[in-house]
Formats: sequence, C-alpha cells, structure tokens
Amino acid sequence: MTITQHPSDATLAAFASGTLDEARGLVVATHLSLCAQCRKAVRAFEHVGGVLLDDLPPSEMSAGALARAVPALDRPQTPPPAAAAPRDVHGENLPAPLASYELGSWRWIGRGVQWRPVALRAADDTRVFMLKAAPGTRLPRHRHTGTEWTCVFEGAFRHDLGRYGPGDFDEADESMEHNPVVEDGVACICLVALQGSIELQGWMGRLLQPFVRI
Amino acid sequence: MQVAGAATWPEVNLRSAEFGFVRRGADMRQGDDGVMNKDPARPADWIAAIAARQDRTAFAALFAFYAPRIKTLLMRMGASADVGEDIAQETLLSVWRKAASFDPARASASTWIYTIARNLRIDRLRHDNMARLYEQSETVEREGPERPDATLSAEERAQRVRAALDKIPEEQVCVLKLSFFEGHAHGDIAEELKLPLGTVKSRLRLAMSRLRLLLGDLS
Repeated sequence: MTITQHPSDATLAAFASGTLDEARGLVVATHLSLCAQCRKAVRAFEHVGGVLLDDLPPSEMSAGALARAVPALDRPQTPPPAAAAPRDVHGENLPAPLASYELGSWRWIGRGVQWRPVALRAADDTRVFMLKAAPGTRLPRHRHTGTEWTCVFEGAFRHDLGRYGPGDFDEADESMEHNPVVEDGVACICLVALQGSIELQGWMGRLLQPFVRI
Repeated sequence: MQVAGAATWPEVNLRSAEFGFVRRGADMRQGDDGVMNKDPARPADWIAAIAARQDRTAFAALFAFYAPRIKTLLMRMGASADVGEDIAQETLLSVWRKAASFDPARASASTWIYTIARNLRIDRLRHDNMARLYEQSETVEREGPERPDATLSAEERAQRVRAALDKIPEEQVCVLKLSFFEGHAHGDIAEELKLPLGTVKSRLRLAMSRLRLLLGDLS
C-alpha cells in the first residue's frame, strides 16, 4: 500500500493533543493504523506537547491534594475493563480502530452506492459512516456545510485535487465543491466523517438528497 | 499544606516530609538548581524509581511538578478547576501504576505523562472508545516496524522541540498553542487576540509548516 495523501499537519497535531471530536478522531486513527509516516508525525507532536506541558505555569492544587492521592497508591489496581482488547466482531478485514465500533448493515442509497453507519457513543454534530461505491461510479457533485474527512480502505476515487487509494486520507472542508469518481476495477470502500450536511448539486443530487440525510 | 505550585524541587522534599514517607535521597538532592526544566532526565529517574521500588518520594516529586501543570493544561482546554485537578490526580495515579511500562527511549517523562493526561481527559469527556483509539495507535507503533530514533535521547528530543519553538515567531507560537494544544476554535482565538480570522489562520499555517520542517524526522 503506497499512501500518498495524508492528513494535514494541523489535523495530526490536533489528534496528538486529543482535541478532535470522536468522529474525526476515528477516521484519523484509521489512517494512522495504516500509515507509519503519520504515526511518526503524531509522535513528534506529542513531544511538543510534553515540552509545552513542562513550560506551563503551575496552578494551585487544593489543600491536601497529594495527601489525598497517596492512599490510592496502595489500593489494589482494578483490572482494566475487559473491552480494552478490541474484538473484531465484524468478520471483515477492517482496520483495527473500527473493530470495536458497532456497525449497521449496508444499505443502498443510490445507484452503485451503499452506506453503512458507524455508531458513536458521543453525541456530536459529526457522523461517521462507511461508503461502498461500485467501480466507475460518479458521485454527485456536492459541497459541505462542514468538513468531510475520508480514509480509503479499498479501491480508489479521484477528484479535482488528486487520486485517493487504499490508506489515503482526504480532508475536504466547506470551501470545496467536488464530484469524486470511483476508478474502474474494484469497488471503493471508505470511512467518512461528515460534519454538518452535504449539499448535493444537480438533478441527481436532488434525487439523492433525502437518502443522504443520514 | 501547600504542595501547589511547587515548581522547584527542594520545596517538594520539604513539603512531602509531611506525609511521613519521605526519604531525602542524596541522589535527588543533587544538582538542585531550582529549575527542573534544565534537568529533564530527572523525572525519568523518578518514574524508574517508582517502577523499581514503589518509591513514594519520587511520586511526591512527580506529583509536585506535574499535577499543577496538568491542572493548568486542562483548565486552558476548558475544564473546570475541579475536573482539572481530578484529572491531574488520575494522571499521577496512572503514572504510579504504569511506571513499569515507561520506556525512556520512546518518550521523555513529560511526553509520556502528557499523553496519559490527554487520554484521561478524552475518557472523561466522552467515553472509553475514543481513548482506546490512542491505546491502539500506541500498540501498533510498539509492535510495528518503526522504532523511535534511538540516536536521540529524550533530552535531545526535548531540546530539538525547544529549539524549533524558539525559531518560530512568538505571535505564531501563541496561536499554535491556543489552537492545537488547547483546542480553541479559530474564531475564539481571533476574538481573544483581537485579530482578524484570516490572520489567525495564516499564522497557524505558517507556524505549523515551520514546526514540521524544524522538527524534521523527530519521532
């Protein structure tokens, strides 16, 4: 897998500092599970975080803060919750970060396009879903009211800004309007975090709109 | 009792004497210069002392330095003082429990503690799913082919980060901290600094690309 499209530095730094919402964090984590280069970058930003932590002015702790912490040191450690080990309940070859999430079933939302929701527990204005588009599918031209981040698992699509194959990460924001085309050959399967809603253009878009309001 | 704000290390020892478990280790007193940042190797030694012999003096020292700073970080990220303090407590407790898994070749004590606090904050804010993403990412990295650059010590890495931050104009570092490490929205930063949104965005872009360039292959 040769990955050529990566999250922006800003996104990797936000991941390193834990400030992404869960939906976008999941798509970035999925890319990271496939991309050693970006894992290194996140690690570098964590080093920055460590240095910045050192440099922060200390806040006053409440009286007896350390004294309160001490008894806990002797308490037997509660074993980590059993769920800590992700289990792949889906029986598919999905990247590790997805394995512990509940996935809905595939549903057709248009010609050649299937959609499958990923259940997040946090209530966000960002949704996550998988998309599976048949080879050669032209997705309707659309723009977003927020960000649309995508990580490709299989197959590939192209739009004005490049080609996105397995492992690649596409970070689209509200300033972009694009119409991705799926390459011939194999279906394109990807994970998408969509903030806000999609506005589809053209007659096909109007037809699809009710389905995409997921 | 006022452990709070004890940035300097001799003070830590005096204060922690109140807890009755203090052993003023000669190794710990050595080289006190009142500024811990100058001796980044020391916190790593404290963590090692906890791992080796559940050293409570070392714990008190780590607590005194890191807990008040974690509290500051959390509050800057929007947590209340109570939550900030809670997470600072949990972080240090976690350091105590996980001390044996600390690998100084991979990260400095500060970086390691920073990531623990980050994960606990996520835990608190949302739930364990998201925090698990970070644990998985770490596992992948541990087991994966890439190893941290073994030629760089934690100290050298920290120096490189500092040198990089020093080379970036202060005004850019300021928005960098606000945006990426404290998680403020661009609009809020613009308001706070009384700058046009476009200026905030361009400063961030500049700061980010310079930082990446200057950090180079740091891992």
